Amino acid sequence: MREPMYEKDLTAMKYAILQSRRHDGMVREIAADIGVPQLRMRRYLMDRFDMLLLENLPARYEQGKKLREDSPEPERQLGAHLYTHAVPIIDEGIMRQIIEGVREMVRNGASLDQAVYSGKERMRKEITA
Amino acid sequence: MTKKTVDVSIPVGPVHPCWKEPARVKCETRGELVLSAEVELGYMKKGIERIMRGRPWQEVMFLAERVCGICSVIHNMVFIEALEKISAIPVPERAALLRVVVNELDRIQSHILANFSYCYTIEHETLGMYLLDTRERVMDELERITGARVTCAYIVPGGVRFDLRPEDALHLRAGMDTLERDITRYMSMFEHGPLISLRSRGIGILTREAAREAYAVGPTARASGISDIDRRLRHPTYQKLGFAPVSREEGDNFARVMVRFQEVLQSIALIRKCLDTLPEGPIRGGGIPGAGEIAYSGEAPRGELSYFIKTDEAGRVVEISIQTPSIMNIEACCHYMLKGVASLADVTSTFVSSDPCIACTER
Repeated sequence: MREPMYEKDLTAMKYAILQSRRHDGMVREIAADIGVPQLRMRRYLMDRFDMLLLENLPARYEQGKKLREDSPEPERQLGAHLYTHAVPIIDEGIMRQIIEGVREMVRNGASLDQAVYSGKERMRKEITA
Repeated sequence: MTKKTVDVSIPVGPVHPCWKEPARVKCETRGELVLSAEVELGYMKKGIERIMRGRPWQEVMFLAERVCGICSVIHNMVFIEALEKISAIPVPERAALLRVVVNELDRIQSHILANFSYCYTIEHETLGMYLLDTRERVMDELERITGARVTCAYIVPGGVRFDLRPEDALHLRAGMDTLERDITRYMSMFEHGPLISLRSRGIGILTREAAREAYAVGPTARASGISDIDRRLRHPTYQKLGFAPVSREEGDNFARVMVRFQEVLQSIALIRKCLDTLPEGPIRGGGIPGAGEIAYSGEAPRGELSYFIKTDEAGRVVEISIQTPSIMNIEACCHYMLKGVASLADVTSTFVSSDPCIACTER
């Protein structure tokens, strides 16, 4: 018996969506911002999102980038709203922990850049785990 | 004794009698309550952007119309206006107003079709059939002006293809009077119908915050109180006509359908204004598209439609990317509106209320 079409593997179609010019630009920017390889980022997005959310990611990303600039520190540098709501690659609870961790480091005397670097390290772990 | 409920995954589609095009919505439910929904596409992918690449603009303008059979005029308009921006091609005032007339006629027929689909889905077939009959008369007007019902190819660089004859203008005015009377009556039926109210009010709510987050556009966003994203506000011809968008605050299925009804009346007023102010003069100014790159948007019936185009010296389209409004709206529908819908019967009506166009989404 032939396999029903609607149960087939969607990986190839999801990959085709991410190949468009705008998607490609967005993936490159996010991968550079967080510091993960582009291939890993594409795989993570394909595993995590359905086809429609993947299609809509560039519009959400552009919208999220505008809001990012208005956020306080360290949320702005971490892209807290951008990566939990606009392009939801990090769960909200985990992002809260990351922000708390960064604030704790700053309170203990670390510079904001160092603390944000360590926060992004945690984000990288989430994505590459 | 409390009723026992179980978690079930229920697929709706890809083929469903209430849907115009195939898409599969996988609903995770607890009893009748929808906990979340996920969408699978890929049943009618055309790959039209890939087909467009490397072709001259004269071929791409016809392909652009074929992205969507319901709102083909706006695809034609946005593509041509993008080319005009690249090459600084002027458009005579008469042609600019005729573009608005045809675009608004297209918006009217699209909105009426969307509302027909909604009425049909909630099983109010009487109103549905009234609307479908009315739409045919709008399609006739479109055919009278452009020579075709769907893929009109009416808008060309520097103007429009045909002028509006005086007898057609008279016919159009009479048609708009009848249409206004009919739509006002149908709006009243929709607004006061108890069955419609039961199936539409307070169902499939999209909050303003969620609409912003998903970047919902068009009537879907305007029904949630967001009116500043209407691209017609930035279009010079619409600015001259004093366009102001309609919006509602409820954010439910009822509001989305009502916004479309209100926009039909608004389009009628815009067409009348165009006919009143239509100057004598040429309809084609001429000009040849050349090399350049642009991101240009227009307001389609479903919302913001964006074209990203790169052309070479011969006017060949080197790179093109199309962002259609249904991408944002269907995403907002499935990830926000459907979440928490209390009955599975409301899944289809909520989906249809967002006016999903799968042909546009898959392009």
